[in-house]
Amino acid sequence: MARTSFVARRILQVIPVLFGITVVTFFLLRLIPGDPALAILGEHYTKASATQLRHSLGLDRPLIVQYLMYMQHLFQGNLGESIFFREPARTVIAERLPATLFLVFYSVMLAILISIPTGIISALRRGGVFDQTARVTTLVGFAMPGFWLGIIFIIIFAVHLQIFPVNGYGTSFWGHIDHLFLPSLTIAIGFSTILIRTLRSSTLSALNADYVDTARIKGISRFAVHRRHVFRNSVIAVVVVFGINLAFLIGGTVIIENVFSIPGVGSLLVDSVGTRDYPVVQGVTLVLAVFVVVINLMTDLAHSALDPRVMVE
Amino acid sequence: MLSTPSPARSGPRRIARAVVVFAVIALAVAGVAAAAALRGDTSRASLDTFVLANAVKIDTLDPAQNSVNESIWLTQNLYSRLIQPNATGTALLPDLATSWKITNGGKTYTFHLRSAKFSDGSPLTAQDVVFSLNRSKNLKGGWGFLLTAVKSITAPNPQTVVIKLSEPHAPLLADLAMYAYAVVPEKLVKAQGDAFWNKPVGSGPFMVTSLTKDQELDLAVNPYWYGKKPNIKNVKVEIVPNDNSRVLLLQSKKVDAIENPPGNLIDQIAKYPGLQSDLFPSTRVDFIQLDEHFDPFKDKNVRLALNYGIDRNAIVKLAYSGHATPGSSYMPYKMLYWNSGLKPYPYDLAKAKSYLAKSKYPKGFNCFLIEVANDVAGNSTAIVIKSELAKLGINVSIKTYELLTAYQKEDGGHSQMGQRYWTNDIIDPDEVTTFAVDPNGGANAFSSYWSNPQATKLVGEARSELNPAKRQQMYNEIQKIVYQESPFLVLDYSPYRYAQGNWVHGFHVNPLGAYNLSLLDLTVDSH
Repeated sequence: MARTSFVARRILQVIPVLFGITVVTFFLLRLIPGDPALAILGEHYTKASATQLRHSLGLDRPLIVQYLMYMQHLFQGNLGESIFFREPARTVIAERLPATLFLVFYSVMLAILISIPTGIISALRRGGVFDQTARVTTLVGFAMPGFWLGIIFIIIFAVHLQIFPVNGYGTSFWGHIDHLFLPSLTIAIGFSTILIRTLRSSTLSALNADYVDTARIKGISRFAVHRRHVFRNSVIAVVVVFGINLAFLIGGTVIIENVFSIPGVGSLLVDSVGTRDYPVVQGVTLVLAVFVVVINLMTDLAHSALDPRVMVE
Repeated sequence: MLSTPSPARSGPRRIARAVVVFAVIALAVAGVAAAAALRGDTSRASLDTFVLANAVKIDTLDPAQNSVNESIWLTQNLYSRLIQPNATGTALLPDLATSWKITNGGKTYTFHLRSAKFSDGSPLTAQDVVFSLNRSKNLKGGWGFLLTAVKSITAPNPQTVVIKLSEPHAPLLADLAMYAYAVVPEKLVKAQGDAFWNKPVGSGPFMVTSLTKDQELDLAVNPYWYGKKPNIKNVKVEIVPNDNSRVLLLQSKKVDAIENPPGNLIDQIAKYPGLQSDLFPSTRVDFIQLDEHFDPFKDKNVRLALNYGIDRNAIVKLAYSGHATPGSSYMPYKMLYWNSGLKPYPYDLAKAKSYLAKSKYPKGFNCFLIEVANDVAGNSTAIVIKSELAKLGINVSIKTYELLTAYQKEDGGHSQMGQRYWTNDIIDPDEVTTFAVDPNGGANAFSSYWSNPQATKLVGEARSELNPAKRQQMYNEIQKIVYQESPFLVLDYSPYRYAQGNWVHGFHVNPLGAYNLSLLDLTVDSH
């Protein structure tokens, strides 16, 4: 019951957050110099053409009128028309969101596959060869720029060994799995460095806890102690770190999308800022905000599910 | 009661755990291998498909609304126009119009159309031409300014289009050859609206078979194409924004040609086995805007000092690795009516100093130069200009901005020096001359706010003059005035950069950037 009302309250809290985001993005975007007419007309810009174009796009109306019209359309599920693509912003975003979500989900799976065994084994074999190697590798992985790593992967695995495609998203489910392996691995390596270090640290703390000593003295097997007491407690801290970084990841795939030519919302957002495609920027920001809120909510729920001491109030 | 796990029980458990871990890893590897196998053989043995990697996303396939060069060059394969530029961009060829007559003192153009069909088999009629031209002409913020002299466009019969002008307009044929005046099917555009442009129907040599936004555009030969049948059956255009990825794709032979490889890799690509780099002459002119709202630039002696004080050869070497031509005329290199008698201002420090000494600023002055971020050639150019002009006592501070911000700061009359460039949309010099010379042409003479009554008068006269020899004289005179007055500094003419495999034969880009004509003769060998 408490959990249900907690979820309901959090969902209601999303409304003012999203409202604030619409205000900030709408007015902040329009503070940036350069207007969409410049993007469309380029070096053939003339005042007369720009005036006509701005009028046809509704950009010559007072800002507050533009904002009210935007909000009116938003309540009807209409994000406006993309200035660059000349089609509904909703369509532009919907066509590109699956690629980013697939990339993020794939990266997360790979990051979990890499980080959980590595973090745990590192902690259990503290000071050993595996632990030392893992710690150096995570440091290097953390410092390595993602775009550089991505290019190296392309050169080795796509160009020379020809195991994976160079770029793109593929056209079927298995096509996505194939095309997105290298970009997902690139992201996963960066993501898993934080998870490994957090998991290692929290596992070591748990291993040294009094309740673990008590459990051992009671004669519970080492495996059972680790499974029931150590891992479950060590994962709590990782869930929080995981949730925070996942929220960043949703909007942070732009560089990898660019390197691997993945048609996602990350690169769409950056390109749209460059062309001052206001409806698309506003739409993508809203969509990403919703995802961040949902991820934060799920992180809190997971945290409380793992640790009964944490009350969802 | 205390109990401890027996060694006999922990041994099998360890083995079981190891088996599970091994199985998970094996499954992952098998899954990836299966995906790779399902991808199939992607070796480029096919001879009927040409694959091009473009750097920029497609904005729209609506020719009236294209604003991205790559989209513009693509759509010229899908649609026909009444007339089209030839492969060198110096003359016009018949396209939908097989012949035309100019009567009534140059105010009436009558075009006779060939029998043609759209790619869905429906007939293309004069009414489609009328609809398409009016649609583009009337689009707000579009290219209608090129056809302000047009009074009416009518179709007296299905094979004839008549255009009437309010006054003679020499560039009309070149204007109609522009991509924005491509012919589209009236009934389908009206019926389908915006959805039409996702899978448009045209009468060009190729038609769209699929469009995956931001990824790929697939074309196949239009079965109703009236011209020479292409040697290839399909064209695939992949969108690959990352420069390095495009080059890697070419090196791995996954694509046949790439657009705009990085300038600093041109020589390397040429040395790579099986590859070649291409520098196709373009209509691009790189210049430095001098805003006359900034007092020193009102002084002609200052402008001439700048011209002699900048080493164009150093810019070509540093910014373009030698792959550009020092600039002279404001008109693109060797375009129609280009004045070949004008030579690039030579680098002459003594002369530069003497002009500056004659000006109101003999000791120099401070100014800023706006450049665009991440424009490698532009950044190098700015560095050369800064260091060269410092020798004259002109201290240039470089201000770097993102593209649209830079454009905004360069317009509006509050700028000083700004990096700009121009590319032609038509083969006739009227467009570039209007923008560069006519203070009422809409661009304030390339945002310099300079004006010369004689030059302005000649712009209008040349636009109405139908005799080519007389037009040549007029444009020679205009170019000479601009050269001598130097309202902006013409730096260089840079080419279009492409790279392709040497298994491709016949790929060529015209100075307007279009490659549609070359796709008709192009062949792709196995590789």
